[in-house]
Amino acid sequence: MAHRVDHEYDYLFKIVLIGDSGVGKSNILSRFTRNEFCLESKSTIGVEFATRTVQVEGKTVKAQIWDTAGQERYRAITSAYYRGAVGALLVYDITKRQTFDNVQRWLRELRDHADSNIVLMMAGNKSDLNHLRSVSEEDGHAVAEKEGLSFLETSALEATNIEKAFQTILNEIYHIVSKKALAAQEAAASASIPGQGTTINVGDESGNTKTACCST
Amino acid sequence: MAKERIPDWLNSSLWSTTPSVDDRLHRFSLSPTTTTTTAAAAVSEPIVQPTVPVSPPAAASRPQYTVTSQKYEFRDPIDKNSNNNSNDNDQNASPSGVSPDDISRQAQLLAELSKKVVNFRELRRIASQGIPDGAGIRSTVWKLLLGYLPPDRLQWSSELAKKRSEYKQFKEELLMNPTEITRKLEKSAVDDHSKSESSGLLSRSQVTHGEHPLSLGESSIWNQFFQDTEIIEQIDRDVKRTHPDMQFFSGDLPLAKSNQAAAEADSFFCFVELLSGFRDHFCKQLDNSTVGIRSTISRLSQFLKEHDEELWRHLEITTKVNPQFYAFRWITLLLTQEFNFADSLHIWDTLLSDPEGPLETLLRVCCAMLILVRRRLLAGDFTSNLKLLQNYPSSNISHLLYVANKLRSQASN
Repeated sequence: MAHRVDHEYDYLFKIVLIGDSGVGKSNILSRFTRNEFCLESKSTIGVEFATRTVQVEGKTVKAQIWDTAGQERYRAITSAYYRGAVGALLVYDITKRQTFDNVQRWLRELRDHADSNIVLMMAGNKSDLNHLRSVSEEDGHAVAEKEGLSFLETSALEATNIEKAFQTILNEIYHIVSKKALAAQEAAASASIPGQGTTINVGDESGNTKTACCST
Repeated sequence: MAKERIPDWLNSSLWSTTPSVDDRLHRFSLSPTTTTTTAAAAVSEPIVQPTVPVSPPAAASRPQYTVTSQKYEFRDPIDKNSNNNSNDNDQNASPSGVSPDDISRQAQLLAELSKKVVNFRELRRIASQGIPDGAGIRSTVWKLLLGYLPPDRLQWSSELAKKRSEYKQFKEELLMNPTEITRKLEKSAVDDHSKSESSGLLSRSQVTHGEHPLSLGESSIWNQFFQDTEIIEQIDRDVKRTHPDMQFFSGDLPLAKSNQAAAEADSFFCFVELLSGFRDHFCKQLDNSTVGIRSTISRLSQFLKEHDEELWRHLEITTKVNPQFYAFRWITLLLTQEFNFADSLHIWDTLLSDPEGPLETLLRVCCAMLILVRRRLLAGDFTSNLKLLQNYPSSNISHLLYVANKLRSQASN
């Protein structure tokens, strides 16, 4: 199954997961791609990688998600992680103030290494541990607003908002990409160059998009 | 996201890359006090054994092993109860039956270990084929292979006793509570003060420069203490979640305290020996140097190109799988995350015993791992190849090591 070459998708979007060590990035990934959660998942060394194919407005989108190490030392190959990434999910732990304070450092790292048009979302993870909360949801919203990010509180353990977080990122990326494609097409048409064939069906709003099952 | 700096202790002579037998006696010295004591001990102790046989130390502290028809035991030379420890680990490691090969290798290793002076070439040769799990001998063989134990068996108990007390001293010096340190500093400050100006009515102890719990000063004892605590917590968390299924890593060991202390000291020194050959991979400042992790990953890539250019081309050119995406973990963790614990032990037997050294052997094993799944890799695209290499399938380790060994023969011919 794993070594099948597949081209059965319309779009391939690379998304990186970033944030401090222990905030739950790997579990967010496993919840989204395999619907699994492991309380004692191993520390990520370097990068781990998974994919899932979903439907976005009638198109098949393959999300290629890169789970990166939170610990500084294991990020030796940072620039390679960000190359080609069109989306990022910046995660902190609502029970650990420090991980929220470090959001600024992660934003700086994104500015240094990632494409400036990258679609960004912030997630306050472990919302199931409300009794241990040390970052209020309002604080999360405030920072998100200030930095111009979308924001959600999530729980990989309870599978709360994980789908929604990725779906939001993927939708936003899709809109940017299809707008660009449309603009390119219009430019091509107005220059009366024969169209190259990529038809983007913008008007197709029929049927609320349903999430497909896992890829591979 | 910590600051980039090399901790001072990393620059200690402790980490010198090529250990020689003679400096092994006094290379584990961190503080000036221990340096002088161990250096003095090394000077006063003749390194070459006298030709006239000397009577061994107390009989109770000699290495003990018993060979019976069915069961082999090799005990810690110092602690007679410690075989519980190794047996526990070994049971964890391999619940499976013992093959005739294992039994013969076990007998050979026991014979080698019972010699007055262990023949390292022989030991390496036998151990490189894998150390049988049954007899609790791995802990002794690894100590020898790492150079923690000297070849002369008569020196083992004194050497271990010395190292263990040295370690105890390290702990006392390095893990001192900041309150104790500041109290000491205050005390000396007060002493000075009372000597110079004893005229005042009330003597006051001054708060030493920045030595209080809220100090943010870089060199503040308290700040250092909090940073250390954070690292210790991180280590604790990672140890527990690395093999949560194994009792050994879950924290509560049913071991006697003395055994645990000895095992901790032994592990520390063995870890230092092991890391002396790999420390550069962990220094971010060396990432782009010829000894850093990137350079080692490039060597693996080069090695693959030499042995299987078609596979190399497909992986790195056609499907654009950057070897950093999988080999970074393979190399920094010496393959421990790619295989189950028992298999990792088997691979490490070979890494530690190969005369070419752990790094060269590791690169050969990594290359063999790629070649063993070449058919799948050649049929795969970027996604499937990266998934395969990040979740390497469980394999026949003996065969893997056999293939890795073949790569050496080809290279040398």
